[in-house]
Amino acid sequence: VKRYHDIVGDGGSRILEQVAEQRTRITGGLAGVRHLVAVGSGKGGVGKSTLTLHLAGALRARGRRIAILDADFNGPSQARMAGVQGALFVPGRQKVALPQTRNGIAVFSMGSVIPESEALEFESASDGDSHTWRATKEFALLGEILAAVEWGALDLLMFDLPPGAERTVQYADFLGPRTSFLLVTIPSEVARGVVARSAAALSKGPNRLLGYVENMSGYYCRDCGAIKPLFVSPDQPPPVGSHSDPTPSGPDRSVRFRGRTRRSAEASAEPGPSGLGIRCLGTVPFDPELARHCDQGIPLAALPETPVGLALEHVAQQLLDSLESTTSAPAHVSNELRRDKPASAHGSSELRPGKPASADASHEPRPGTEHPR
Amino acid sequence: MKFLCVPCDSPMKLQSVGPPERGSLSVVYSCPECGYEMAMLTNAYETQIVQSLGVRIGPEIDKTETGGLTSGTGCPFTAMIPAAEGAAEGTGHTTSTGAAAQPVPIRWTAAAEARLEKVPSFVRPMARTGIERFARERGALEVDETILDAARDFFGM
Repeated sequence: VKRYHDIVGDGGSRILEQVAEQRTRITGGLAGVRHLVAVGSGKGGVGKSTLTLHLAGALRARGRRIAILDADFNGPSQARMAGVQGALFVPGRQKVALPQTRNGIAVFSMGSVIPESEALEFESASDGDSHTWRATKEFALLGEILAAVEWGALDLLMFDLPPGAERTVQYADFLGPRTSFLLVTIPSEVARGVVARSAAALSKGPNRLLGYVENMSGYYCRDCGAIKPLFVSPDQPPPVGSHSDPTPSGPDRSVRFRGRTRRSAEASAEPGPSGLGIRCLGTVPFDPELARHCDQGIPLAALPETPVGLALEHVAQQLLDSLESTTSAPAHVSNELRRDKPASAHGSSELRPGKPASADASHEPRPGTEHPR
Repeated sequence: MKFLCVPCDSPMKLQSVGPPERGSLSVVYSCPECGYEMAMLTNAYETQIVQSLGVRIGPEIDKTETGGLTSGTGCPFTAMIPAAEGAAEGTGHTTSTGAAAQPVPIRWTAAAEARLEKVPSFVRPMARTGIERFARERGALEVDETILDAARDFFGM
């Protein structure tokens, strides 16, 4: 009697063939994308979406062609933050074009099509019991998006991942080894512990770990001009510019902002006491003004000379440097995370000098994209 | 999943897929050697898991033979079966509240429908509604490729 592998094909259902065809369509659709970067954490509420959007903005300001795929289908926030709530996905002659932010970042977010008062739900034949199939369904949707969208020529496609350490690994599996990961944590032991689990899980696969960003690394007080501690760990010194910093506030405050941020940025490039075992690409303080910008869909460009703005610029440059580097991992990455990467995936993947935004007609910001309805 | 006719030691071939009924599919296989037929009747879990993969069961068919897609919700699993697709769009997606009623019916040309099918299935109903609204606001009662191109320009894509 024949066994499974003795039989070619499946008799006509073509299920495996269709899954393989989906993968081929995804690969083809992403052929023009130089770098795939997933921004994850494992922990929720650490600012993955905020960092994704504003790092994209900083990279866009450097002339890079950027798109964001909000992969958090159940809690999409990019649509609001990017100002593309209510945007339509209009089919072109080949594929589907995405709405763009005012600064020319293409964004796909379920938040564009599903109002915040509604939840994403799927029809089910199994009368609920979504734990048995929902993750599969969501990844099928992700594949459909990747295959259907006209990504075109991009320097970076950034994935804003949902929380969950296990989800982070599932996305790594789905997106494949071309995708590099940037992890986000906050200076709390609880968050670091969860992110460490994500880093450990990712380290077992082929995906490149670019490093991590410590978000909410202090609180930027606009009244006194200092960065005060938001989370205090007994074994950590207070952040630069904390309340113990004797530097007074005064007329030269803007100058001191820059000096502080530069010192902080330089320090953050060193491996910190995070316990994550991966490179720190920078620290970003919490600024209530940034939160307001996110709620109202205002781009980072409105906060250029603030500690948070400068910190994000620094992280963006570190991200670019990391992507451009030909080594698989920085020297201070722990041994368990260091691994060789195929040259085809990263070794020769230097970013080309990006065109100025105004020179790239296909990614020009255009009117009417912010609030189409 | 593959099926083997044990007496003939021959792989069975898919013959037909019955329409979904309360979450169950009827998939008929036959042996090319002896002609013996059998049906695989899925339970709702099995149907749902296969549907979640985003695949169809059965050979692709020419859309023109079924008259193209039509608006409507219908059974979400109809889209799993190419031969039944003309009966409903079958996105398998919904939100927790219902969609607004459409005041004026809008026709779609076949070419525009073909382009709409490029939109991921779960956002297709929203795209359809938005494009129809766009057309209606311009006094058009039909969505054609000109309307679609105008919508792309209008929405800055």
